[in-house]
Amino acid sequence: MRFTRASVDHRLPQPEGTSRPRGFPWAVALGAAAFAAETATANTSNGYNLPIGVTDLSQSMYALHMEVFWICVGIAVVVFGAMIYSLVKFRRSLGAVPDTTMVHSTKVEVIWTIIPVIILVVMAVPAADLILKQEDTRNSQLSIRVTGYQWKWQYQYMDAGEGVDFFSTLKQDSNFARQLGSGTDPKSVPNYLLDVDKPLVIPSGTKVRLLLTSMDVIHAWWVPDFGAKRSAIPGFVNELWFKVDAGKEGIYRGQCAALCGRDHGFMPVVVDVRTPDDFKKWVEEQKGAAKQAAAANAGAPGAGSSVTGSPTAAIVLPPTAHVLN
Amino acid sequence: MAHDHAVDTAHHDHHDEPATGIKRWLFATNHKDIGTMYLVFSLIMFFIGGAMAMVIRAELFKPGLQLVDPGFFNQMTTMHALVMIFGAVMPSFVGLANWMIPLQVGAPDMALPRMNNFSFWILPFAFTILLASLFVPGGAPAGGWTMYPPLFLQGGNYVAMAIFAVHLMGASSIMGAINVIVTIMNMRAPGMNLLKMPLFCWSWLITAYLLIAVMRLISV
Repeated sequence: MRFTRASVDHRLPQPEGTSRPRGFPWAVALGAAAFAAETATANTSNGYNLPIGVTDLSQSMYALHMEVFWICVGIAVVVFGAMIYSLVKFRRSLGAVPDTTMVHSTKVEVIWTIIPVIILVVMAVPAADLILKQEDTRNSQLSIRVTGYQWKWQYQYMDAGEGVDFFSTLKQDSNFARQLGSGTDPKSVPNYLLDVDKPLVIPSGTKVRLLLTSMDVIHAWWVPDFGAKRSAIPGFVNELWFKVDAGKEGIYRGQCAALCGRDHGFMPVVVDVRTPDDFKKWVEEQKGAAKQAAAANAGAPGAGSSVTGSPTAAIVLPPTAHVLN
Repeated sequence: MAHDHAVDTAHHDHHDEPATGIKRWLFATNHKDIGTMYLVFSLIMFFIGGAMAMVIRAELFKPGLQLVDPGFFNQMTTMHALVMIFGAVMPSFVGLANWMIPLQVGAPDMALPRMNNFSFWILPFAFTILLASLFVPGGAPAGGWTMYPPLFLQGGNYVAMAIFAVHLMGASSIMGAINVIVTIMNMRAPGMNLLKMPLFCWSWLITAYLLIAVMRLISV
């Protein structure tokens, strides 16, 4: 719609000291540019954006996110810019009169349908590609069964780590600090609520596949730096893969991401990424310790084992009514 | 309850006088009174849900637990959502619909006035049940407002209460939606064709169909 000035200029006299917002469109453009510059190289440590992360998948997710984000910014600038400009420049107090002659235009409607379709396709292609990549768990080099419990995780290694099996629970100092009336300041606890007694250990540069399930309610395993999050559902086995870039060894922390009861916020996920050699050494240590514990148990039948679980390869489903298949 | 009115020996049909007092509200059949009741109800529910949100905010103000048991915190989160969605947002929209739709399409009232009233009066009962679950052993629903099993089924008394309450609210919404569709489709004033109808009525028409399709999923 075009607004035209009335033939007689009814413009009201401007009061002293005010002026029409001439520089306004430039202010908006500059603001957008400054924002763009800051986030272009951005990193994520300010906590506002997605982490770029240490896996191929997480980096693809970050790139896709920024792409879609800038498309949205572009659309917003055009739409809000046109709107604000029209609202201000053609306001009634300046004498603008609405144009009532243009009621319908098929050409315009076709254009403003086709352009959004193109934009959607441009967004959908990389998104679909990334989803397919996420689902492709073929040729995994290490598989680990991850079972969610209320309120801890159990990790059972397969392949080269077969036999390593342990629970991963919130660390004692965090657990103590978080109790009501504990008197301990959470700020004094390092990695408060993000630390466990036995973290998941994996090798870098290796395609790791997690087989997620649960023994009781729905949980979700999530490590933001890996771009990895998937539900752990009783009666189902969900697959999740990631490959931490070589050279990115270290400790990565995440949390349970599906409400699972009273201590949902107190069952974190901690992953210790080591070089493949260090990982092999660690597996040997674990197996050795398991053998010792098994031997000790054989000698003392009443003793409970706290290290190993069942070494069978089959996934044990909970014998409850809510197994759907 | 005998009114002394003149002379009408044929029958005591006093429908020419509007009801007063509690009967006006309990037996309302006009869209304005019912709309007002919905809006007042949704305002009260907004404050209750808001209070629960304040408990959440107070606890989350600083790291660590200061005020509430984690189980109770989950109850507040779940109840805040249930109360806000089913008690503040949906009834306020229905109240606005009751007020605006007959006026905007030129109808004398909604199509089914008594069912309209019934739809409203289900809600205070449903919310009494839901809010009462805060006071029963085991506490209020704490399994999330999406009520996913198996977590939700780990609850005790609240499971039955929450499901029953949500079923009642669903019935109220479905009947309200039926009312809206019939009013808009059948009772528009002459000359008010669908393409002349205000956008508010259009959005309610579509919402009403969606409600009828979807409400069973929430209840079943």
